[in-house]
Parts: sequence; structure tokens; C-alpha cells
Amino acid sequence: MSLLEVSGITKRFGGITANRDISFDVEAGELVGIIGPNGSGKSTLFEVISGFYRPDTGAVSLDGARLTGLPPDHVCRLGVARTFQKLRPFSGLSVVDNVMVGALTRMHDVRHARARARELLDRVGLAEKSDEYARTLSTGQRKRLELARALATEPRVLLLDEVTGGVDQRSIPGLVQLVRDLHRGGLTLLVVEHNMRVITAVAQRIVALYLGEKIADGPPNAVTRDSRVVEAYLGQAYVQ
Amino acid sequence: MKGTWPAVAFFAIAALWPVVVRDPFLLDSLVLILLWGSTAAAWNVAGGYAGQVSLGHAAFFGLGAYSAALLGTKWGLSPWIGLLVGAVLATGFGILLGFLSNRLRGPYFALATIAFSQVLLIVASRWRGFTSGSEGIPVPFRPGFWTLGITDKRIWVAIVLVLAIGLYLVELYLERSRRGFQLAAVREDEDAALSLGVPALWLKVAAIAASAALTAVAGALWAQYVGFVDPLYVFSVDLSVRFALAAILGGIGTALGPFLGAALILLLETYLRARFGGIGAGLVGIYLIIYGTALVLMMRFAPQGIVPWVGERFRRRPAAGSAS
Repeated sequence: MSLLEVSGITKRFGGITANRDISFDVEAGELVGIIGPNGSGKSTLFEVISGFYRPDTGAVSLDGARLTGLPPDHVCRLGVARTFQKLRPFSGLSVVDNVMVGALTRMHDVRHARARARELLDRVGLAEKSDEYARTLSTGQRKRLELARALATEPRVLLLDEVTGGVDQRSIPGLVQLVRDLHRGGLTLLVVEHNMRVITAVAQRIVALYLGEKIADGPPNAVTRDSRVVEAYLGQAYVQ
Repeated sequence: MKGTWPAVAFFAIAALWPVVVRDPFLLDSLVLILLWGSTAAAWNVAGGYAGQVSLGHAAFFGLGAYSAALLGTKWGLSPWIGLLVGAVLATGFGILLGFLSNRLRGPYFALATIAFSQVLLIVASRWRGFTSGSEGIPVPFRPGFWTLGITDKRIWVAIVLVLAIGLYLVELYLERSRRGFQLAAVREDEDAALSLGVPALWLKVAAIAASAALTAVAGALWAQYVGFVDPLYVFSVDLSVRFALAAILGGIGTALGPFLGAALILLLETYLRARFGGIGAGLVGIYLIIYGTALVLMMRFAPQGIVPWVGERFRRRPAAGSAS
């Protein structure tokens, strides 16, 4: 059995079908990328897996336990954490308290949770910002904060939404390295990413979506050469 | 973590006040400061810490006041029992309102709370057979502690001081505990909190229910202290605004703020009314204009409230760029 199983997910908004019958699995320890042009349904799929949207049909399960229909906080406690594409730090709290909120999901003692938060901030390279307000961080730093916060909930699967989106070019290699390190440490990751160079470099497998449907699923070099993927991104003229 | 010594000093002064001061007017002022401070602190639990701004908290205050007064006049029960009944009723309505807050956010929630307090006002002022309608209820004076028939204002200071310190401790809990941090996360960004496993709905409902129950307790004590319950006053939007105003002036989401805000409002109001109000004044009602102007000025120069304003001046500032 795969760690995360997505089977037959369909999600409609009125007359628009954002996800149509999408199925794929993520094995334990795998790093899977989700790609697709704007509007292909990546974000919707993310919201479905993390419990923020309820699919019309289909199911998501973690290690055999059904997640579909559970509220997002419950999904997180079962072991699926996520970051947001549009970053959502707790602006009025300090950086360390932001991360501590995640840690408090797993531990009851505030001091232990704060110590754990500091460890994680050290790991994502934000240690010296620990006591600043979260609103003072740059976009790249906020991405790191979201990562640390999600990691603090001790996820079995981490969903990352656009790690490099909106970040200046110089910050990208550091963030990519961070994701690599997390994967090397044994974490299972599902990563939505616009930046093709980034995703093909880090992912073991890529799922490509187009207009709400899965059009390819396989190793990066195979998916990026797939004629349907090329057509979806570049148009018919580029298909050889 | 903010120090607690200013609060210790505040409550110590309040405790020693009756020992030194015998003047009934000054003792009365202290009772009212602690009582209104408690209502503001109770409001702060929902409005400040949970971020659920209510403009209908008078509903819970009135529930407490009516429970104590009605159980006393109709069945001769102790106001302490009335206080308990009021708190239970307020908890029930608070839970209801809490679930509503999940659907209605921000200003819509505030509007719903106003509507709620207005419904109770109509019930209390029209249900003549039970509540005596808009005439209100005089609370019978039955001497003794069990019946809260107490003339000695020093004992009243002790009673409301216990309530005030209790509320301060509740707020301290919300600043330091696991649940408190989770609630702060919900206030800052509910979806982000949910994504981190924080049971947001449950926490909001609990905070609003606790806030409601504590407000009812203050209402029950107030009814016994003042001796008369008028529906047009206890369920008024004015009163709801007063709770919120004291918390906002003192510093929303701070533990001591509501008490300082309540003290400031009471002192300002009393002074202005004595100085500019009354029949002898040249311009009737001018004190209200001055009062309003003073509030506007305070919000202009210390928009975050007294506690954060003072805090910024006495604490060492963090690194540049982080003070905003």
C-alpha cells in the first residue's frame, strides 16, 4: 500500500470542473512533483488533499486511513501538513511562536514546543530571526518560516505549494537545497511547482495536470518529453 | 513575555484602597472600576484574544443581571444561584454565537451580536408577566453575604476584586498556555491555524462561551450592587460598546489593559460630568462633547491602547524595522 493514495478525485465549481478523475499514489520517502500550466487544477487538488475542499467524488487516504471529508485540522493531526502558495504567516506573532503553534499540535508543554521550534528554525536557517515579528520577514524568509511551521507538526507527508514562487532568483538555490535535505532525511513530499528547472531537478516522479485532468505520470525526463505535456505548455507547434 | 508587576501593583493598590480610604464615593468608584474592568476583560477573551469582536456583549451582562434579580424576586433564591444560572445560560448562548462566528466573520459577526442583544432587549421589555417589562426590576435588599445584601462598600471591593483577579488570571492563561497560543494563531489567520492542526472552531466556541459566562457573572454582581435592573440599560448597545471601548483603550488583547481602560473611562467621565455637567453648567451636555473628543485624541495618539503604548516607551526596542 502506498503512503498517500489519491483516487478518482473530481471537484467542480459550478459548471467548471477543476479536477476530473485524478488518481496517483505517493510512496513513503518519495518526492513527487505536480506540474501544469495556470488553471490546470494543481491548487484545487492541493486543497482537496489537505482537507480544505471536499471533492465531489473520489477519496484521499493516508496509509489506508481515509482523509476525505475530515476538516483540515484533523487531516494535519493525522500526518499531512501543507504550506500555502499565498503565504500566511501569523504576522502579529514572533517567528518562534509561529513555529511553536505547529509544534503544539504534537506536544502539550509550551517550553518543549518552543525549544522544538528553535531547533526547526535553526534547520531552515532562520535562527537569528526567531524573536522578530513574522511580518518583518522577506518573502524568501517567509517561505522558510512556513516550512518550519509545517515541519513542526511532524508530518508523514508534506505538501509544498510553490516553494520558489515569488522569490528572488538568489534565494531559489537555498530553498531548493532545503527541500532536498528534507527529502534526504526521509520525508515524503508532494510539491507543486511552476519552475520546471527546479521540479525536474528535485522530483523523482512528476504528475502533470492539464485542464483538470492528469495527462502524464512518470520520471521527470519522460514527463517533460511527453507530447501532451509539451503541447499543454507550449502549444501544438512545438510537438515534434 | 511581558512582566506582571504592573498588574500586581494595580491589584495591590485596589486591595489596600479600602484600608486607607473611607470616603464612600471613592470606594464606589473603585467597585465600579473593578466591575467594568472585569466586563472589559471578559469581552477581551473573545474580542481580543480570539479576535471575535462582539458589539452585543450586553446580552450576556443582562442575562446575568436578570437571572440574579428574577430568581431572587420570584423564588427568593440567592443571587449566587442566580449568578450561576446566568453564567450557564450565557454559556449556552455563547456556544450558539460561537458556531455562528464560523459562518459570519469580521463585521458580520459584530452585527449578529448586536442583533442578538436587541432580541433579548425586546424579550425583556415586552414579557411583562415575567420580567416586569420596561419598568425594570428593583432587586430586593436582603441583608447578608448569601443574599448579597451588603451595605459595606469595602466588602464589595473584596468581592469584585476576586472577580477582577480571576479574570486577569484567565487572560494570563491565554497569553502563556498551549490553548492560548493556538487561539492567537486562529485570530491571526484561521486557515493557516487549521493547516497546522489547530482545532479552530472548537477554540473559538470555547473562547466566546467563556467570555459570555464571565460577562454574565459581572452582570449578576452588578445587579446586586446597584439594586435595580433596567432592560433598556443592561441590554443596550451603549453598554456593549462600553465593554469593548475599555478593552480597546487599555490595549486590546492585553491582560491588564481592560482594567486600565475601565479606570480611565470612569475617571474621565466622572470628572467631566462633575466639572462641566449638571444643571449649573452653562452648556448642558458639553461634557459629552469633551468626553468624545478626549477619546478621539487618545485613539489618535495611542491607537493600540495604553498598555502597548507604555510598553513601547519603557521596553528596549527590538532591532530596527520590527516595530510596526
